[in-house]
Amino acid sequence: MTYAIETNNLSKFYGDVRALHNVNLRVKRGEIYGFLGLNGAGKTTAIRALLGMIRPSEGNVKVLNQVIGPHGSGPWAQVGHLVESPAAYPDLSLRENLEISRRLHGIKNPKVVDDVMDKLSIASYADRKAGTLSSGNFQRLGLARALLHKPEVLILDEPTNALDPAGIVEIRELLISLARENGTTIFMSSHILSEVDLLADRIGIIHKGELIEELDAARLEELRARQLVICTRDLEKANKALSDFEVISLDGRIAIKDSRAVEAPETIATILVNAGIPPTHLAIEQENLEEHFLRLTK
Amino acid sequence: MKNFASALWVETLKMRRSKVPLFTAIGFSMAPLAGGLFMVILKNPEAARAMGLISTKAQLLVGVADWNAYFNFLAQAVAAGGMVLFSIITTWVFGREFSDRTVKELLALPTSREIIVAAKFIVLSVWSILISALIFAVGIAVGTLVVLPGWSGELLGVSFVNIMGIVLLTLPLMSFVALLASMGRGYLPPFGWIILILFLANLSVILGWGDWFPWAIPGLFGGVAGPRAELLGLHSYIIIFAASIIGFAATYYWWRNADQAR
Repeated sequence: MTYAIETNNLSKFYGDVRALHNVNLRVKRGEIYGFLGLNGAGKTTAIRALLGMIRPSEGNVKVLNQVIGPHGSGPWAQVGHLVESPAAYPDLSLRENLEISRRLHGIKNPKVVDDVMDKLSIASYADRKAGTLSSGNFQRLGLARALLHKPEVLILDEPTNALDPAGIVEIRELLISLARENGTTIFMSSHILSEVDLLADRIGIIHKGELIEELDAARLEELRARQLVICTRDLEKANKALSDFEVISLDGRIAIKDSRAVEAPETIATILVNAGIPPTHLAIEQENLEEHFLRLTK
Repeated sequence: MKNFASALWVETLKMRRSKVPLFTAIGFSMAPLAGGLFMVILKNPEAARAMGLISTKAQLLVGVADWNAYFNFLAQAVAAGGMVLFSIITTWVFGREFSDRTVKELLALPTSREIIVAAKFIVLSVWSILISALIFAVGIAVGTLVVLPGWSGELLGVSFVNIMGIVLLTLPLMSFVALLASMGRGYLPPFGWIILILFLANLSVILGWGDWFPWAIPGLFGGVAGPRAELLGLHSYIIIFAASIIGFAATYYWWRNADQAR
């Protein structure tokens, strides 16, 4: 199988500091891959390696089946990127900044600049100098530059940084539509777990330079699933009373993921009361990504 | 080639939108204006005596008030000022990508890094040559206003070749400034370099080794320490060429290979 993005034993050392260690990423075409990590975990270093901005100390990087580097060579006409906070020439207008990208990408059609400004809702600021833009619009400019050439692969570092809540929703929907309708592969790093949780098909968790876990769609679904958590004075008896359901034993509690229980917890309460073991605690909980992430990175 | 034209367009746009060309042109225009002032002082000894120190300085620099002396003054100003001014332009062209953090937008593109660096060198060279030509034109206008004696077409031609020769010998040495602005990721390291190099260039001329020191050669070509033929040999041109090649190669190597981790 060929992947849109692939790293093989990717390591990067700065002197004695190990920024990345044996990272093996596999991002399928058309997939939205969330790359999670704490600050300093190695997310941006990995992204810079994917874009040929830094040379791996060991291992290699392939994007669209082409080995990146040496000398920064890669399939860049098919790759859009946003690395860390966006940057722009402050004394040039927003339009001129995008025009620069258009020219350097060798795109003949000048209309792409207007199209991408419309798509990112920044057309009304086209003639404003980039240095005077708000941080939110500056971020949109960075995203516009990444999307300008309709890339097959988008590599985005914290794409919703600096955006207001409405902007976050807008960009999230844009990214989802790019992946679902155009088949664009999206590799995005973030430390905002809820954002990644809502967007990603798959998640990689990086910690201290190592990819410590990859969560596939099924596991993510599991983490996103709700469950009814029950406490009673006699768990064994409760288990028997709830034999119609698949009961999971937790530490001093039991849980049921069945939708009949999650949607109607009063039914479970009634069963337990009738069995003479009324619940002392009954709550719908979600083992969310945040808890999972924190447990892993402790 | 198409990408190269695009890169040239991009670098030209950045230059046009910047205030640096205006400021450098105004700054460099001070040279012919100052030269004109010295000529006025020299033409009028009464006023020269009344002005004290400035009058003495003017005599030290140019001696007599005629076109030949005035063009010599301009050549010396371009030799000393050009090294500083072209370094400022080069520092800005390369250093701004790091101070504005835009360098990361230039690395993963279908237009190669080599083309971008070449476009930068071409634009800063054209810019520097145009400013030098402007100074020469302003010099002619100022000299005409001051009504200097000794004008001839031949003198004009020789002086133009002299000044442009200084410019063309100075520009390739800017590759080191570009390298330091890139390696130092900003403006400060190249400014430190300029100060060091001016000091060493002066020292080498004082010690009589200026013809072997690349950064002293443009000044010697301009006649700052005497007739060019007595001070420079073929080895001087070979040295400046070799040093420039090293500077360009190092700059290209850095852009191709250095980790851009910031």
